Amino acid sequence: MSTTAPQPDRVLTPAAVDALLLDTTPWLSCEDCFERMDTYVEALADDPSHRDPAMSVHLRGCPACAEEADTLLELLHDRD
Amino acid sequence: MGTLNRDDPTSLGLSGEGPRPVRIGHDEPEDWVAALSEPGAAQDAAMRRLHALMVRAAAHQIWRMRAALADASPHAVDDLANQAADEAMTALLGKLHTFEGRSRFSTWAFKFAILQAATEVRRIQWQHREVELRDLEVEAPAHDGPDHAAEAGELAAALTEAMRTALTPHQRRVAIALLVDGVPIDVLADRLGSTRGALYKTVHDARVRLRAALVATGHLTDTSPTPTTPAGTP
Repeated sequence: MSTTAPQPDRVLTPAAVDALLLDTTPWLSCEDCFERMDTYVEALADDPSHRDPAMSVHLRGCPACAEEADTLLELLHDRD
Repeated sequence: MGTLNRDDPTSLGLSGEGPRPVRIGHDEPEDWVAALSEPGAAQDAAMRRLHALMVRAAAHQIWRMRAALADASPHAVDDLANQAADEAMTALLGKLHTFEGRSRFSTWAFKFAILQAATEVRRIQWQHREVELRDLEVEAPAHDGPDHAAEAGELAAALTEAMRTALTPHQRRVAIALLVDGVPIDVLADRLGSTRGALYKTVHDARVRLRAALVATGHLTDTSPTPTTPAGTP
């Protein structure tokens, strides 16, 4: 009996394993992330050591919100 | 809306090097909310100024994501940025009463333009691609190599099993689409008639269940606090 090797995109890559097992607590919704993004990014632009655990965790777990936060931070750096 | 010269890419700040830095001028209203709320010449001027800021922010986002676009010429980016700014203006003006002054108004405004522009680029990127909602087809990689590869393979196998046993079919499909297949969350939300927030909640719950399952089987050390989701969150 022969076996068929899984297609590459059917295999769990190390990156997929990491993404699936990412600890995204404390919970923060995308809507709350959007609400807080302006104040969070301004605080980060003023002080790169600024920490907001819920925002940091959300941005690690949500690539779309993270992309948008990165853009906002770039805009603030360009503006100031 | 707006008075930009669409034939001149530099009106957007676009050049071969990307968007120009955003400069906040001295013609900014001191009170944006009042200026935008009270009909008259000041409102018209504030709307034009705000739209220009929104176009710049949208263009910056689109420029960052230009590799996803078939046509990333200055003219195409200009058109897309203006469309995104128009949509974002509508969204912002509908929420103007919620601005509390905790950040600068321009920062608050930028995020609406950025969200709209990024969502639109992802939509365009995927408009001719099918989104496959597959269920139990994920497989762990074979592992017959060095020890660390074998460990990684064992973890992936345990995770695959946990996906079968600990997740609901909906959680599995959403987690696979977003985290394995790399479908953007707003594209998946659009295809499913859902929202970004609802899908993120689904994948958050899936992650909690998967971590708990692997802690139970000894494949993961629980070093995190007990997951708590406040009641009433979407």
